[in-house]
Amino acid sequence: MSGRLRATAEYGAALALLGLAWWYASGPYGMPPYLLPSPASVLTTLWNMLAAGQLLPHIAFTIQNIVLGLLIGTVFGVLLAYLLFKTPFLNDVLEGPLVVLQTAPKIALAPLIIIWFGLGLTAKIVLIFSLVFFPVFAGALAGFRAIDSRLHDLAQLLRLTPAQRFFRVDLLASLPSIFVGVKIGAIQALVGAILAEWMSGAQGLGYLMTYATATYKTPILFGAVLLTALFGMVMHALLNEIEARFLSWNVPDER
Amino acid sequence: MITIEQIAKKFSGKSGEVIALEPFSQEIAEGELVSIIGPSGCGKSTLLRIIAGLETPTSGKIVLGTSGLKRPVGFVFQDAVLLPWKTVAENIRFPLDTSGVPRSQGDQKVKELIQLVGLAGFENSLPKQLSGGMKQRAAIARALADDPPILLMDEPFSAVDLLTRETLNDELSRIWRKTGKTILLVTHSVEEAAYLGTRVMVMSPRPGRLRKTFDVDLPSPRGEETKRSPEFLDLVAELRTMMREMTQ
Ligand SMILES: Nc1ncnc2c1ncn2[C@@H]1O[C@H](COP(=O)(O)OP(=O)(O)OP(=O)(O)O)[C@@H](O)[C@H]1O
Ligand SMILES: [Mg+2]
Repeated sequence: MSGRLRATAEYGAALALLGLAWWYASGPYGMPPYLLPSPASVLTTLWNMLAAGQLLPHIAFTIQNIVLGLLIGTVFGVLLAYLLFKTPFLNDVLEGPLVVLQTAPKIALAPLIIIWFGLGLTAKIVLIFSLVFFPVFAGALAGFRAIDSRLHDLAQLLRLTPAQRFFRVDLLASLPSIFVGVKIGAIQALVGAILAEWMSGAQGLGYLMTYATATYKTPILFGAVLLTALFGMVMHALLNEIEARFLSWNVPDER
Repeated sequence: MITIEQIAKKFSGKSGEVIALEPFSQEIAEGELVSIIGPSGCGKSTLLRIIAGLETPTSGKIVLGTSGLKRPVGFVFQDAVLLPWKTVAENIRFPLDTSGVPRSQGDQKVKELIQLVGLAGFENSLPKQLSGGMKQRAAIARALADDPPILLMDEPFSAVDLLTRETLNDELSRIWRKTGKTILLVTHSVEEAAYLGTRVMVMSPRPGRLRKTFDVDLPSPRGEETKRSPEFLDLVAELRTMMREMTQ
């Protein structure tokens, strides 16, 4: 617990230092506001937008896409990994192509995805999905393969049904490994969501960035970047919290 | 109850074939407690795994006279094999949960079993918080949870200290007498084999086969006096001589 407190303190100190440097550069040092707006002007802009109801819809849109993409990507990543784990034939046929796809730069495919899936929500979710799917798939497959063979013996001994095997043994045993994939996927999902909004649509934090750039409203740009970074941090903290709460069985107790 | 008919097992791997068991037959009557001893690698675990259906024999067959029961055997593995994300109590009730036993009924059963194996106070501990012996006791409780007529135990007490081991021996003996289960117990201790068994099967290695079966004619229930009786001491001496011959 004290370790966690210290980590939070260190984190806070680093942020404060960064804020101070920002304030110094934009204030006493005298960077022009269109290059570097002051912290105060950014916060004021954000506040005004919030009060006018112009901010929350964008935030909600981006979060919604990330959560949807993350959920769908995780479910499909885990299911396909389990399918491959359970059917050696599929594993032999699909593993090669999947490795190739996994290494393909999905970000570079973003324009193609937009051509295929249109300018709307679908393309955005598909892009995020493609970014989340592979790390989760890889983590899950590694997890399923690393299950202690004696747990399989136990499942067979207890004559568990296929569903019981999956939900009560295999999935839980691989959860730590799946979670490694989800954590990587979550960061990718954030990148993917912003990128997708840069390219099309008129909603989301990513759109806000392109809009602000095009109209030289630098404080809005900074605000959007700040909010994106903040969201990334919250997501990271949330995932760590989930891990600490539900996967502690996997971590040996300190003695 | 358990009929072993010309069972043999060959493992074939990259480094050639291992004959784990040469064909042998054996009849184990309902309610017997058969101890199995033999040097490391003589196929004791393999035999138990075949009987449990975890391994298919290369030839021969096993007939369990348990009339189509869904889970005829309980198995205590050489090391506990608990689900690491479940508490002790949840692990013990896992066989009940997965066969649809109502919650309240399961709770009652788990409570009894925890008392029985002496884990009171550790109901909510995770496996990682337990010593090897405690894990093994939880595994024994789990094997007993849904009351299988056959209990297969693979060196269940090897991770337990001597005093606890003696207590658990007497506990097992008591459970066996009370429930009339058919029990196969693999052990490395000749004293334990003789003390608990109605019969002792001695196996020899390379290739694994049944060397000899001893009937144990000691009065039941057994206790400290048994361990001092000349019959017991003679049997132990004979078993030990046989084991020594095999390991030389
Ligand atoms: N899955 C397997 N693949 C290949 N060989 C195996 C396998 N399982 C067991 N064996 C071999 O079969 C033989 C018998 O093994 P088994 O585990 O049954 O011995 P054991 O009598 O239980 O030994 P111990 O007292 O050390 O537990 C050994 O030579 C072992 O190497
Ligand atoms: Mg063994």
